[in-house]
Amino acid sequence: MAVWDLSVMVEELGPEAPALKVSVTSDLHVGGVILKIVQKTDIKKDWSDHALWWEQKQQWLLKPAWTLDKCGVHADARLCFTPQHKPLRLGLPNGATVSLRACFSSPVFRSIMGICRLLNIRHPEELSLLRPAEEKKKKKDTAQEELYDLTGVPLSAGLGAVVTLSDGMPAHFAESPEAEAVYKMLSVSQPAPAPETINKLYRPTSVVEKAQVNSRWLDSSRSLLQQGVQENSKLLLRFKYFSFYDLVPKVDVVRLTQLYEQARWAVLLEEIECTEEEMMLFAALQYHIGKVSLTEALVTPSPAMDDLDFALQCLEVKMDGESSGVDMLESMTAPQLHDYLKIFRPKRLTLKGYKQFWFTFKDMSISYFKSKEESFREPIQQMNLKGCEVTPDVSVANQKFCIKLLIPEPDGMNEVCLRCENEQQYSNWMAACRLASKGKTLADSSYPSEVQSIRSFLAMQRSVPGSNDAQTDESINTHSLVSPRYQKKYKAKQLTPRILESYQNVAQLSLTDAVQRFLQIWQALPDFGVSYFVVRFKGCRKDEVLGIANNRLIRIDLGVGDVVKTWRYNTMKQWNVNWDIRQVAIEFNGNVNIAFSCLTADCKIVHEYIGGYIFMSTRGKEPGETLNEELFHKLTGGHEAL
Amino acid sequence: DNDLDALMADLMADLDATEKLAAEKKAAAKDPHPTLENLHLPSPDHASVPAPPLPPAHRASSVPVPTPVPTSAPAPAPSSSTNPPSAENEEQAKADKIKLALEKLKEAKVKKLVVKVEMTNGSSKTLMVDERQTVRDVLDNLFEKTHCDCNVDWCLYETNPELQTERGFEDHENLVEPLSAWTRDSENKVLFREQEDKYAVFKNPQNFYLWKKDKKALKDMKDKDKELLLEENFCGSSIIVPDLEGALYLKEDGKKSWKQRYFLLRASGIYYVPKGKTKTSRDLVSLVNFDNVNVYYAKEYKAKYKAPTDFCFILKHPQIQKESQYIKYLCCDDHRAMTLWVTGIRVAKVSKAPISSPLTPRTRISRGPTAHCVVFSTGSRCTRTTRLTQPLPPPPLMDVLPPPPPDPVMPPPPPLPNKGGLPPPPPPSSVTKNRGGALPPAPVEDFPPPPPLDDGELPPDFMPPPPPAAGVGFYLHGGEALPPPPPDPVGLPLAPPPPGPPPPPPPPPPVGAPAPRPVLPAKREGPAPPKRTTPGLSAPSGGDFMSELMVAMQKKRVQQ
Repeated sequence: MAVWDLSVMVEELGPEAPALKVSVTSDLHVGGVILKIVQKTDIKKDWSDHALWWEQKQQWLLKPAWTLDKCGVHADARLCFTPQHKPLRLGLPNGATVSLRACFSSPVFRSIMGICRLLNIRHPEELSLLRPAEEKKKKKDTAQEELYDLTGVPLSAGLGAVVTLSDGMPAHFAESPEAEAVYKMLSVSQPAPAPETINKLYRPTSVVEKAQVNSRWLDSSRSLLQQGVQENSKLLLRFKYFSFYDLVPKVDVVRLTQLYEQARWAVLLEEIECTEEEMMLFAALQYHIGKVSLTEALVTPSPAMDDLDFALQCLEVKMDGESSGVDMLESMTAPQLHDYLKIFRPKRLTLKGYKQFWFTFKDMSISYFKSKEESFREPIQQMNLKGCEVTPDVSVANQKFCIKLLIPEPDGMNEVCLRCENEQQYSNWMAACRLASKGKTLADSSYPSEVQSIRSFLAMQRSVPGSNDAQTDESINTHSLVSPRYQKKYKAKQLTPRILESYQNVAQLSLTDAVQRFLQIWQALPDFGVSYFVVRFKGCRKDEVLGIANNRLIRIDLGVGDVVKTWRYNTMKQWNVNWDIRQVAIEFNGNVNIAFSCLTADCKIVHEYIGGYIFMSTRGKEPGETLNEELFHKLTGGHEAL
Repeated sequence: DNDLDALMADLMADLDATEKLAAEKKAAAKDPHPTLENLHLPSPDHASVPAPPLPPAHRASSVPVPTPVPTSAPAPAPSSSTNPPSAENEEQAKADKIKLALEKLKEAKVKKLVVKVEMTNGSSKTLMVDERQTVRDVLDNLFEKTHCDCNVDWCLYETNPELQTERGFEDHENLVEPLSAWTRDSENKVLFREQEDKYAVFKNPQNFYLWKKDKKALKDMKDKDKELLLEENFCGSSIIVPDLEGALYLKEDGKKSWKQRYFLLRASGIYYVPKGKTKTSRDLVSLVNFDNVNVYYAKEYKAKYKAPTDFCFILKHPQIQKESQYIKYLCCDDHRAMTLWVTGIRVAKVSKAPISSPLTPRTRISRGPTAHCVVFSTGSRCTRTTRLTQPLPPPPLMDVLPPPPPDPVMPPPPPLPNKGGLPPPPPPSSVTKNRGGALPPAPVEDFPPPPPLDDGELPPDFMPPPPPAAGVGFYLHGGEALPPPPPDPVGLPLAPPPPGPPPPPPPPPPVGAPAPRPVLPAKREGPAPPKRTTPGLSAPSGGDFMSELMVAMQKKRVQQ
């Protein structure tokens, strides 16, 4: 057989070095070629990660047993001998960028599996890689971007279980303090961004703009290098399929944190719309999560008070320790609050303005008397606060500390305003009112923390509005908790009480619960989980929007934004892609046929979305089930898969 | 109760009782007076009988330092501040006693109510309900006392003649609390009756979640698709609220007129579209959130408030019993809209149930038929767990009152309508378990069980029809293509396995057999498919999805 020269670029020889000429025959297999190259370079190193890349054809020669002939390589081919794993800058949902080694030769789906394994995110099938939006740049912000480096951490290709340490951190992060810092960044939610940061980022304002992002997904059946991703370029890792399977806070620390971050940014950047009330609740939860993240880890075992027996034991120990009978009985009878406060009842004309009385708070009711001396007599009035609505009316600047109560009574709501003298008094009484409204007494163990959280929220008001500090211990600019729309609509001063109002419902949540609540509310939004594409339906003259969700396809009017029609996957009989004219055709039960071409994204992306969601719904026969990669490719691959 | 006496006395001695102490004791003991709400008191004796917990307290307080030291435990030193260092046993015994005493005190504080429940035939039953009992518990109790068929539709209904409203209590609610809100002269009633809408959302979820579709499609919905809907909306990480929207009439605050507005239901509340705005989320105005209000059907508001129709509902705080500006009055065009909204709001209220906390482990709900009972009772789980450590002693007034203690020993025998072959479920092993288990039996029979027909229907479904002209195509079969994830076994610590559940269609459908399923080389070397491809999916119902796919592919190839 004829011998000919194959020219191969070897990066290790330097960028200027001429291509290596290796004499080969057409029946030489790829493995043999590699051996010859390595011998010829005369460099001693571990070449095991290297493989041949055929740039003209945009393909890897990964099968060592295939002959050059079978691969179609002839003398005119110019190959490149290069490592399969290359560093990649990965933008995470939380906004941080981490540098790590990713596989550039396997299908992106598999590369993501490796990345997620390294980052300790389960269910990699739910994530994918996005090309970053092209920036109209001139700014050299790449220089100042903080980069977390994980390139030193080996990317284990095996499928064995990741070894985790007792605190849930995978062992590979424990190798250096830097890696540990990266793990902290991954597993703890980021402090609230400065309002400017939110303002600077791109916000989609219409459904068409929301569709743009979906044009940037990488194809999961082809490799990174095949898709033109170069070494060290930047990609974004995002949750793509909004169908989060088996979220377990204990083992999904990074997953849960990153999911929360993605949801938070989606809310802040108005990628998903919500009402003002919902925004305030999101803000309150962000504030709360930011605050407890400073002190609490996502996986610490919850306080062991869940067991009544245990609680009783604690009580006993405490009683034995102090062991005075009076103490013990006191701990059994509810503690009380007494003070002179001012009351105002908007509806009763007899009382004009605020009037001072002696107030007693016991169990769940407030009683008031003419004076302290009269307090043993019958109260002027007693109000049971259970089920009432409590709203703050506070202005630190004006030293106004009012508690507004709406107390339900058989014939309506009784409106009452209590005015306190100072922060301290206000915090105590406010906390008591809130607990009582939820049917808890002062004796409840959450009382001290409730008082504390009210005080810290008051501290928020004290902080100078307009300063753009990120979240510190106590103070925070409330503008960093809401989307720019509300930054414009309300001054920080006006926003704080609104957020405070929502905050009272979440202040007692643990970190895990708060994060889950955030995700829950996010998932309950009507537009949750819909990915948009601008399409042209067959037989229609105008552009329309197709929404793809985890259980349905939605046809949306582009102008008005109204849902025109919904098709559920369970009525879908088949779908076809005509790759020549790049048209997707879907048949539903009852002879319903639709076909459309995709305008804002390649039809492969749309095809992959639909197939991906079908795949997601097939998961979960057994909890420990391994990922069925083959099936995923079958459903999403298109013609490459067959 | 002698035991309690002794313990009390012991405790007293132990604590070196003082005047103050006695007073406090009395205060503590006063609370336990079963609150004698004047709710249809059954017997005049009732009031005259002093509550049992009271006397011991009196005795204890009148004798300053009683010294009946029980022989069972060595007496602790009178002043407990100096604990004998050696006696660990003593400590233990003392701890036990304190614990017991605390429990008893707690028990004595439990509020109880005597409730008259009106039956469908106009007669009434009187029973005692304590504040820890859920409506479900009370219903089980009533099932025992009556000879009704115990189906899922039985519920407790509250009527308010003054407001002309009525509302079915949810199974997970506590009964005592809402009843305590009634005024003294209230003419409200509690009815025990069958109410179809109680679990309508679980029987026909499509009517609520796909309400926009045309009526015929909804009516012909397959059971499998219904199950899938339940799965999607109730078994995920959050309960999905039906996306209702439409024009309703709202009675304007304090006015007689009704104004039409466009309303939307979201998990976070009811919103309306303000004048001149679109229904984008950011423009919506909140009418009310569901934190503090309940939804009530309102009767004959055309006459009472000049409502446009008689299909009205109101939202109000449960405490409000009379006409008030704090009530939101809404009016729908027709009965269907009213049912949609009221049910939607009920779902929204349930969706706000607290998320995982140590006491209420997050449960993945078992699919299908059982789902409905579990979902609407998320709240009750908490109570049940607590009870495990706190066994219920018989209520103190038991001998005076006709009704037996509320602790049902057995769940009502689950009716097994069309399930002749199925053995009855084994009786739950313990009473506590049983209380948890009391939920599922009722729903069992009423949920449309997968008819045997279903299996018969499968074969045609499974045969891949001739390929479409378009090109290579595998088929997606209706609901089967998207099997709902099975319940997470770990997630169900408290929801007991449904006794005698109508099982989902038997796992290996008979159809699977004829298909030449497994023996297929995984090679795809046949005629290279043309450029256009179709990914496809067939039913994984047989368990092995891949082999189904293979079968389909082979068939395809053969046809080519």
